[in-house]
Amino acid sequence: MLKRSTGEKVFNVVNIFFFIIFTCMMLLPIVYVLKQSFEVGIGGSLNLSLLPAKFSGLYYQMVVKEESVYRPFLNSVYITIVGTSSSLLVNAIGAYTLSKRELPGSKAFIYFLVIFPMLFGGGLIPTYLLMRALGLIDRYAVLIIPAMASGWNMILIRNYYWSIPDSLAESARIDGAEEFTVFFRIILPLAKPVLAAIALFTGVGFWNTFMAAIIYIRSPQKYTFPVKLREMILIQATSMKDAQMWEAMLMAMGFDPAQTAVTADGLSSAMMIVSMLPIILIYPYLQKHFAAGIMVGSIKG
Amino acid sequence: MDTAIKAKGYQKNQKKILTKTNVMLYLMIATPLILYYIFHYIPMPGIIIGFQQYGLSGFKYWVGFNNFKTAFATFFFWEAFRNSWVFVAFGYIFVTPTPIIFALLMNEVRIKWFKKGVQTISTLPHFVTWVVIGGLFIQLLSPSTGYINLLIKFFGGQPIFFMSNAALFPWMFTFIRIWKNVGYSAIIYLAALSGIDPQLYEAAVIDGANKLRQVWHITLPGIRTTILVLVVLSFSSVLSGMFEPIFILKNSMNRSTAEVLDTYIYSVGIIQGKFNIATAVGLFKAVISMFLLFTANFLSKRVTEDGRSIL
Repeated sequence: MLKRSTGEKVFNVVNIFFFIIFTCMMLLPIVYVLKQSFEVGIGGSLNLSLLPAKFSGLYYQMVVKEESVYRPFLNSVYITIVGTSSSLLVNAIGAYTLSKRELPGSKAFIYFLVIFPMLFGGGLIPTYLLMRALGLIDRYAVLIIPAMASGWNMILIRNYYWSIPDSLAESARIDGAEEFTVFFRIILPLAKPVLAAIALFTGVGFWNTFMAAIIYIRSPQKYTFPVKLREMILIQATSMKDAQMWEAMLMAMGFDPAQTAVTADGLSSAMMIVSMLPIILIYPYLQKHFAAGIMVGSIKG
Repeated sequence: MDTAIKAKGYQKNQKKILTKTNVMLYLMIATPLILYYIFHYIPMPGIIIGFQQYGLSGFKYWVGFNNFKTAFATFFFWEAFRNSWVFVAFGYIFVTPTPIIFALLMNEVRIKWFKKGVQTISTLPHFVTWVVIGGLFIQLLSPSTGYINLLIKFFGGQPIFFMSNAALFPWMFTFIRIWKNVGYSAIIYLAALSGIDPQLYEAAVIDGANKLRQVWHITLPGIRTTILVLVVLSFSSVLSGMFEPIFILKNSMNRSTAEVLDTYIYSVGIIQGKFNIATAVGLFKAVISMFLLFTANFLSKRVTEDGRSIL
C-alpha cells in the first residue's frame, strides 16, 4: 500500500462526495417519475417530497385495463420474443459457416454482410419504397424481418465458435455426422454463453423498437410500446386535438374528464416505469455481458 | 481414421468447391445473405430517385441536380444542417471527454461496493430507449409540474421553460446525452485504466511525483490509444443516431434548434411525401458520412499501436 498524503485524503473525500451527488443526479429523474406514477391528482402543488403524498396504483391499473395502452405493450412483447429468437437462430447458424476459415468465399461473406453495408446504403426513402413494394407497411413483419440478420452479431458468435476446440467436432465427424448435425449437436450447446449475451442485447433492441415503428406502422393497434409512450408523453393540454384525444381516452376508461384528477403525465409516468422494468429485471445478466455488448456497440458506432 | 475425416469432414486445400459439406455450409448462411440482399442491397440503387422527378405513382422524368438545388435553396434544410453540426461539435467538446473524466475519478475510488453501486446505476440508462429518457426529462423539467421548476419556485424564482426554449435546447440535449451514456462509455476507459502497470505509479511516487503528475505522465498516456481509437471510430457515425432523441425532444417551440438532417429527411419524405427531395438530402448526408468514414479509416492507421485500419 502506498502512503497517502493529506492532499490525497482531502481529494478522496471530495471525490466520494462528487460521486454521491452524481448518483443523485442519475437517480432523480427516475425517482421523480416513479413518484408521479404512484400519485393521483397532486401535480403542480409545491410538494417537494419525492414520495407520493397519497399512494395509488390507479395509473398501473389503467396500463393493464386500457386497450390502447396494453395492446402496444403486448405488441412489443410479441416482436421481442419472435424477433430475438428468430434473429438468434439465423445468426447462430450463419456464423457457423463464417467460422470455416478455409471455405471458399468466406472472406467475401464478411464483405457482403459487414463492410459493404457499412459504406453504402439506400437511405430512408429507398428503403421505405422497398417495404411498400413488398407490402410490409403496417405489418409486424416489418419490425422483425429486416432486423433479423446481423453481420456484427454473426462475427461475435463466430469468434466464440473459434474458441471451441475442434477435437469435439472431429470425433463426431469420424462417427459419420454431417456438418449440420455437428453444428446442432456439438457446437450450438457449447456456444450458450455467447448466445445468451447476444440474445440479451438483441432483446433490448427489439423491446426498444421505435424508429422503424414510427416510419412503417400506421394503425394504432399495431403501435409498439415506445410509440404509444411518445404519443402519451407529448399530449399537451394546450393542443385541442390532444386534449380531445385524452378526453376520449378518459371516457373510454370510465372517468369523467371534468371531474377526475387523472393526468396524462401520470399515465405516461407509469408507462415509462413499465417500459424500464424488463430492462431492470434482466440487468444483472446484461452486466455480466458488458464486454460483448461494448464490442457490438463500438463496431456499430 | 485419416480417410474417415477426409471423407466426411471439412478438408484443407480442397480443390472441388461444391462438395456435399460445402453445399451444406453455404445453405446454412443462405438466410442472412438473402435478408441482407433484400433489405440492404436492393434499396441501394434507389438513390437515383434523388435525380428524378418522383411522384406518388413513381418515376416521372430526370431532373439532374435540381432536387439538390431545391433542397439547398430551402431555409429549413440549412437549419437542420446547422443543428446537426452544432450537436456534433457539442458532442466532441462535452459528451466525449465526460466519460474519460468520470473513469479517471472513478479509478481513484477505493471503496469497492460504492464503486460498483455508482457504476450499476449510471450504466442503466444506456439500455433504456430514448423515448423513456426523453419522457423522464420532459416531466422532470416541465415548467408547471416538473421537480426542478418546483424547486426553483420554492426558492422564489421564475419557472424556466427548459425544453421549449430554443436557445437552451442544444445545452439540454447535450446534458441528457451525457446523462444517458456517461456510465456505459466509461466502462471501456475503466478497463484500459485497470490495464496500467501499478509499478509505474510506485516508481513515480519514489521519484516524488504527486497525484496530478502521475495522472499526466502515467494515466493519460496509458489510455491515450483507447481515447484516440474511440474518437476516430466515432467520426464515421457523427451524423447518425440523432433521429430517436430528437423525435421525442423536438416540439414546436424548440424546432429551430432541434431539427436535424435525420428528422428533416423523415418529415420531407414520409410526412410530406416529397420522396425525391428527401432522397437527395439523404444522399448528400451519406456522401459526407462516407467521406468521414474514409478519413477515420485513414487516421486509424496512425492511432492504433499496430498500424491497422478499421476497415
